[in-house]
Amino acid sequence: MNMKAVFVAMALSVGIAPAAQAHYGMIIPNDPMIAQEDGRSVSLSISFSHPFEGEGMTLETPASFTVTHEGETTDLLGALQNASLMASPGFTLEHALERPGTYVFQMTPQPYWEPAEDAFIIHYTKTYVTAFGDDEGWDAELGLKTEIVPLSKPFGLWAGNVFQGVVKIDGAPAPYAEVEVEFFNEGAGATAPDELMITQTVKADQNGVFTYAAPSAGWWGFAALSTAEETMAHEGVEKAVELGAVLWVRFEEWTGR
Amino acid sequence: MIARRAAALLAYALLAFGLAAPAHAHKLNVFAAVEGAEVAVEAKFSNGKRPVRGVVMVKGDGDAPLLTMPLGPDGAARFALDSVDHASGLTIEVETGEAHRDYWILTPEDIARGRGE
Repeated sequence: MNMKAVFVAMALSVGIAPAAQAHYGMIIPNDPMIAQEDGRSVSLSISFSHPFEGEGMTLETPASFTVTHEGETTDLLGALQNASLMASPGFTLEHALERPGTYVFQMTPQPYWEPAEDAFIIHYTKTYVTAFGDDEGWDAELGLKTEIVPLSKPFGLWAGNVFQGVVKIDGAPAPYAEVEVEFFNEGAGATAPDELMITQTVKADQNGVFTYAAPSAGWWGFAALSTAEETMAHEGVEKAVELGAVLWVRFEEWTGR
Repeated sequence: MIARRAAALLAYALLAFGLAAPAHAHKLNVFAAVEGAEVAVEAKFSNGKRPVRGVVMVKGDGDAPLLTMPLGPDGAARFALDSVDHASGLTIEVETGEAHRDYWILTPEDIARGRGE
């Protein structure tokens, strides 16, 4: 291990936040592909964290939490259960899957004041779960203020596959949008040789399309960041608002040799 | 048995030579749910299209179908729940030909939930 890796490992072990530390809203299902043998429901863990470091932050009750299936959106805010995730307040949800198809779970959090960035953060977070072998709706667009619309099916990906999505703001592709990518380092099995590799960054092309190849199996978070035109007041002073279009995608371990 | 082995060999040969069997390109997906006194069956290909013909077989504990009926042109079928012994659950199989076959298991819990019990 070189000196940089040692420093990053030490900083993580004593809870010192490297400068590059990224915030992520998180919606993590127990499985993004629920087969009929798996039961008739999906379990979700909903949190706000630095996912590579496994460092949780307080997630206040979201402004909204919904599921969209076959074009119909249902409010689930009242069904969220308080939970401790990554040693911080978050939520869990057990949601019954009545029919086959793709279920898109989406959270709009309360604006989060980040003093270090002198700005508010609002991450529109979503994940896609397919039920009972029917993946219809895997490319559903929810019409959020900002969102990543999948061009690759957002489940059923092998580690090493590329994932593509188009970043949209107010429904229009966002040319050259920056997309931060971070691994949910459950079990802390991954180490970073440099803090720049905790959160990687890719840029979308002129059509708002970005591409990323995940090097290993697990949950990967994509956060397309932009700054809102509107500001919000903090202690009487108008502050910038960072908008994030966050999407969580699971890559599966390749089973061949 | 010989026919089954031949089919398995053919499938293996197709995979070995990298050829996709037609059933894999358009996988059939079957779902069934109890809606009050009836069971609603629906079938769909992975490309979203509905099969226009096929056979629905309703099985209980054994391999022999308790009920057989044609799939409607909309890829759906319905039957009365109490027309079959469903105490231990039901397996609904749909076959649309050319090796397109899938099934859905209605557990006793599914049936009770669908009946509002």
